[in-house]
Amino acid sequence: MVQLNRQYGREETNRETRKIRVIGVGGAGSNILDRALLDGIDHVELTTANTDVQSLTGSVANQKIQLGRNLTRGLGSGGDPELGLAAAEESYEEIQSVVAGCDIVFVCAGLGGGTGSGAAPFIAKLAKEAGALALVLVTMPFTFEGRRRCAQAAASLQLIRENSDAVVCFENDRMAELTLPRMGIHEAFSAADVTISQSIRAIANLLLQPGLIRLGFDDICSVLRDGDARALFGFGEADGENRAHDALVKSLRNPLMHRGEMLANATNVIVQIRGSANVTLGEVGIVMEELNRHVSDRTQLMMGIAIDGTMGSRLSVSIISSSGDSSDRPLKTEVYPALQEPARLEPVPAQPASESVITLRLEDERPANGATLDPVQHLEPAETRAPIEARAPARASIEARAPKKEAVKEADPSDKPAPKTIEARQEVLQFDAVSRGRFEKSEPTIIDGQDLDVPTFLRRRVKGGLV
Amino acid sequence: MARDNIFVGLEIGTTKVCVVVAEARHDNTLKILGVGNAPSRGIRKGELVDFETAKRCVHDAIVDAEERSDVEISEVYLGISGGHIRSFNNRGIVLLEEGREEIDEQDLEDVRTNAREVSLPMEDCVLHTIIQHYYVDGQDGVLNPLGLFGKKLEADFHIVYGIRTRIQNAIRCVKELELETADVVINSFATAQAVLDKNHKQQGALVIDIGGGTADFVVYVEGAVKQSGVIAVGGDHITNDLSIGLKIPSARAEKLKIEEGDVTLGNAFPGETIVLRDETGFAGREIERETFNQIIHCRVREIFEIVARQVDADQNLNYLGAGVFVTGGSSQLRGIEHLASEVFGLPSRITAPLPLAGVTSAFEHPQFSTAIGLVRYAHLVHMDRPMARGILSRTMKRLSGIFRT
Repeated sequence: MVQLNRQYGREETNRETRKIRVIGVGGAGSNILDRALLDGIDHVELTTANTDVQSLTGSVANQKIQLGRNLTRGLGSGGDPELGLAAAEESYEEIQSVVAGCDIVFVCAGLGGGTGSGAAPFIAKLAKEAGALALVLVTMPFTFEGRRRCAQAAASLQLIRENSDAVVCFENDRMAELTLPRMGIHEAFSAADVTISQSIRAIANLLLQPGLIRLGFDDICSVLRDGDARALFGFGEADGENRAHDALVKSLRNPLMHRGEMLANATNVIVQIRGSANVTLGEVGIVMEELNRHVSDRTQLMMGIAIDGTMGSRLSVSIISSSGDSSDRPLKTEVYPALQEPARLEPVPAQPASESVITLRLEDERPANGATLDPVQHLEPAETRAPIEARAPARASIEARAPKKEAVKEADPSDKPAPKTIEARQEVLQFDAVSRGRFEKSEPTIIDGQDLDVPTFLRRRVKGGLV
Repeated sequence: MARDNIFVGLEIGTTKVCVVVAEARHDNTLKILGVGNAPSRGIRKGELVDFETAKRCVHDAIVDAEERSDVEISEVYLGISGGHIRSFNNRGIVLLEEGREEIDEQDLEDVRTNAREVSLPMEDCVLHTIIQHYYVDGQDGVLNPLGLFGKKLEADFHIVYGIRTRIQNAIRCVKELELETADVVINSFATAQAVLDKNHKQQGALVIDIGGGTADFVVYVEGAVKQSGVIAVGGDHITNDLSIGLKIPSARAEKLKIEEGDVTLGNAFPGETIVLRDETGFAGREIERETFNQIIHCRVREIFEIVARQVDADQNLNYLGAGVFVTGGSSQLRGIEHLASEVFGLPSRITAPLPLAGVTSAFEHPQFSTAIGLVRYAHLVHMDRPMARGILSRTMKRLSGIFRT
């Protein structure tokens, strides 16, 4: 399963030319598209599909499909899913031509209404039939929208599950957690849009952006096609000293992650770390160690690292997985499910995941020279270069043999760290910027050089993770 | 109308001000007449930071105690704490002049004075000079050298000192309420009087009183105070840690700590959460129990580790036959005794004050250890008094009486 990339000088071929299309269905769907576009999404084609012409004209997508031109005559579906479905069936050919040749089709819709609930399952089905990986991202209505809408949404969700590869379900009720109850209703609704657009962006980035350790289409397929079609998604971005930790915490706080609870049952988890060239081995170590505490022994973690010059000093962590019970499954050491694309993307960070040890192996042309660096030295911030062999401190040990990486700063896709073993097993706590809280103004208590007013878990964490 | 047999202990704590009024009965037992309580404000880490506010709190507690005990309080034994309090052990030596061989009270006083003669920082003053052991002409294990023959008297003392002005602040606070301070006692000694009996002291014991703002500890070895200290970390820090770690307001963190506080790790099943309820009772955020416990665990473990390091530095850990006694409000955290056992490698237990007569059952609770210890201290001092012949010997007697036993 471990694929070693022994090819040299194949940088450019590495860039995937995957065709990704995002289809927003119904009013809510086109809102999501608008949001995604606002946030900036490249190399992705956007399509709006709606029965309501007014809403369609307002959309910013470059391609628009009017569903049920004869059936609804440019009006909405009036909250009737059957009408929505009929309208989509009428525009069958148009949809088919749009999804043809795509590798991934994201279908975004707000369930509960007519067009979204009715047409989304149908469009997903067509996309899947066309050979694409159909990912459906839907929002469930607020409970207060009434039982009828909720029931329609639930029924539609069931249909979507049957007809797509994966569903990412955003419950608006949970979205309320993202916003304060006092905030405007507009913000509450757009919270879901933001999260969905983040998900799309993260998956698109995963596929399209150069990675130091790349994750490919097949990885996503294996993760999403393997579950019970309920996707988990988390995205976090942070800046500052503890950015690695902060970003991970934020990603786990995503309402879709249910605070990481769902991760415990996931079979495959993709984690992608993005940052500019100053991402350190230590930071990768922190993210992986902490993430390991959230997953079970059976979980296969797939790590990707992407170097993106535009990230500046920020670092982002995306987690993608699907829920499914792994309890009755053996340790996942066999090949990916048959559904996967022919393996042609390398390096494939598919690894026999045993227990909570992630093994990532990649090789580069230059042999390691075997020097040993003191972890303290090489884990200095902004020091990515040449971790020849490093043992991370305390309970985590990261062994890495890497080529000299002058090229890292140019974000060269071919630039890879070399065989790595990350043994992560550490009880670590979430923490934020060092703070003394209510003792900010009182006389500090310093014993043995430690400021005891700073929470112990913060200090110990800093000690265990970074030094 | 202070009666001679009424003792009042006043503890100005970080979370609460507690006043215990007790009466000494003819059979030399104490009876609690009443306990006054008031939540405290203006106190941080065991020290006054807002004089007027703190004074009001003390006043409230005193009034409460007066009402409950039906005693007009005029004199209190004041408990003192704070990170500025330090201690060390020192030996005093006195050589008897030619022609005199019997050790008298003056010699005992001289040896004490001699031991205290160490250069302390200008702003510090000595709070306690506690006798540990006497040696007469090099002979070990002399319990009371008074009347013995000898040429050289030596004595080991445990000396506790602190910053004068800070101690005076507390005294002034009491004084402004028209009360006299009979004596100033550091909290850890007072607590030890409440939770340790003679046997424990003899076997060797470590008492840790984790209160709101400070953790006070005292080590008894062979019946004598060997070591004491104050670490300005307490329950408030746990609350603060929770508030920062879980991003919840302090008041909520405090409530959560009291209701759910647990130091046990690995006990929560994965994904177990604590639901935060808002004022109206609706379920709000959820907090992972393991995270919650871990924050508390880290802090409490650190407190224990600091104490353990200090006790170990003086090589006293091996002499603690009776083990570790954890008391104070924060000892209510679940599983704290197991954590103490683990850190110290000694049998540990949570202790409440030893039983006294009176309306005690409600006060046999770890958070009253210090306040009750103060009246026990006062009582022990008092018991020695009738035998005293002069003011000097009185001081001697009372200190030896308390800290030898």
